Amino acid sequence: MSIQEIYEQYHEDVQFLNIYIREAHPIDGWWLGRRLTRGIIKKIFPYPKASMAHYDPQTIEERRAVAGECQAALAYGVRTYVDEMDDAVNNAYAAWPTRLCLIGLDGKVVYAGGLGPYGFRPAKLQAAIESYLKRS
Amino acid sequence: MTIISELFDDAKFVVSYRKEKMKSQKLLDARAPKAGDIAPDFTLSDISGTESVTLSDFRGEKPVALVFGSYT
Repeated sequence: MSIQEIYEQYHEDVQFLNIYIREAHPIDGWWLGRRLTRGIIKKIFPYPKASMAHYDPQTIEERRAVAGECQAALAYGVRTYVDEMDDAVNNAYAAWPTRLCLIGLDGKVVYAGGLGPYGFRPAKLQAAIESYLKRS
Repeated sequence: MTIISELFDDAKFVVSYRKEKMKSQKLLDARAPKAGDIAPDFTLSDISGTESVTLSDFRGEKPVALVFGSYT
């Protein structure tokens, strides 16, 4: 199950916030190799759909620009919000490179997903939403 | 540079970089909010920088699914 499918199923009952944090695989960071290696990785793994064509944004304007490309590519229909350059939200949630959370009506964490990419389990988020909505 | 040595060098880099990043990320992970904790509040702007959202505004209104990620 994808995040988009979960969004389509629950968006009337749950507010979805897409938070763009620090780039996972910028050219000047955790770059997944040169042309040959990238080609192989892209053939083997559908994710990350790594363009690996961006340098790590150094200003909030650059970060917003990359986040805009991300929002357009994902095409969920979910507005993307951008973490500030101090990475405050990313650090508070230990969110990099990916993470899913569900926050309840009382402001408490209902589901704290594991650290991505291995702990990034949309099906577990869906189960947490389903269970929470039944309880509340 | 041969194909094999390019692949080998890339693999070495990816593995060492990941090891280093995951070490620091695990330290943050230990401090990350767990189920039952109050979610850290935040206010963030959208990609245009003109519209903002505050997590606590949804208290009592709607549960919130947070999807953290990046382009790659």
